[in-house]
Amino acid sequence: MTFKVLIENTDEVFGCSEGQHILSAMAKMGKKGIPSGCHGGGCGVCKVKINQGAFSSKKMSRAHVSADEEKAGYALACRIFPETDITLHVIGKLQKRF
Amino acid sequence: MGVLRISHVNIRVLDMEASLHHYINVVGMKKVHEDKQGNVYLKCWDEWDKYSLILTEADKAGINHIGYKVESDEDLDRFKKRISDYGIHVDDIERGALDSVGRALRFNIPSGHEMYLYAEKDYVGTDVGTVNPEPWPDGLVGAGVHWLDHALLMSEFDLENGVNKVEENTKFMVDVLDFYLVEQILVGPEGNQQLATWLSVSNTPHDIAFVGGPINGLHHIAFFMDSWDDVLKAADVMGKNKVKIDVTPQRHGVTRGYTIYFFDPSGNRCETFGGLGYLAQRDRPVTTWTEDQIGSGIFYHTGELNEAFTTVYT
Repeated sequence: MTFKVLIENTDEVFGCSEGQHILSAMAKMGKKGIPSGCHGGGCGVCKVKINQGAFSSKKMSRAHVSADEEKAGYALACRIFPETDITLHVIGKLQKRF
Repeated sequence: MGVLRISHVNIRVLDMEASLHHYINVVGMKKVHEDKQGNVYLKCWDEWDKYSLILTEADKAGINHIGYKVESDEDLDRFKKRISDYGIHVDDIERGALDSVGRALRFNIPSGHEMYLYAEKDYVGTDVGTVNPEPWPDGLVGAGVHWLDHALLMSEFDLENGVNKVEENTKFMVDVLDFYLVEQILVGPEGNQQLATWLSVSNTPHDIAFVGGPINGLHHIAFFMDSWDDVLKAADVMGKNKVKIDVTPQRHGVTRGYTIYFFDPSGNRCETFGGLGYLAQRDRPVTTWTEDQIGSGIFYHTGELNEAFTTVYT
């Protein structure tokens, strides 16, 4: 089963297979709408807000997504596994270097 | 006399089971101990002290502390006074407070990272022993790394507001703990601000490194491998295990090391650092990389700094 993921900021659409996290699906398609970092829920650069769709998630760093934010639909794209088509908004960014 | 080497790091992980798969089956360490709090202790085959990595399950990734081994108990007395005289609070911790470790000093370096010094850690021996040893043991798993080599700590850096913890850490490590500066990246309008430094206390090009970033954190922990072939094989192991690789095998300009950057399942960056690079010496002139050549300093072949290098860390 493959679900459609829409990134609102860039209007990019890509497919995400069951059991695959959104960031991995995006990166494998060569798309760059969501900043790609550690892919382990630790660094926080891939923070998104899920506006539509159902998903399961794995543990993500509380340094980047608080419990309240998680309830409100904020998440790290590398910890999100779609169960329906998803519409999301990108929040995270690669911070200013120096 | 003085500091001998990096002895261990304690890092936070989000999922212990996934982390153990990573550090045991991919990196090639062995689990040696688990304490009552559930912290897991691991070592590499070529290390003789009991452990070099402590994993602590937590709700965020990153580093808890870093430990360096000193030669003797008298060194602890000496460093305790020097750290205190420098204006940094130091706690004298009793034997056993850190698992399998003797008396220890605990303090925060200027960036705030917590550091321990101690002279004793339980001896368990390498996997090949000390009498007529084979060059390597049978049954190595994954990358089969030799030992924990160094750590790079991200330190707050904001020139506009006059903050440079890289420079402050470097001065502390040199003036108080007798490390010496091996390489540095200098930036800023005058080209005199340390954005990054690599320091040694032995003969390896770095026993610790600091790079400036928006907030403090852990950039990576690195494990030693012999050769470029070992680094390539380690990358194959990572591909096989679907490990997220940050930078595929490449040479660092700084330290000349052969590297792979990759992430553990909680997003903590690891490195396999191959080759000695060169033999660092206290009287070796300091190598400087200028702001316009940072890319070549970090990734020598491409000459380009990938965006994640200073922005993605835990």
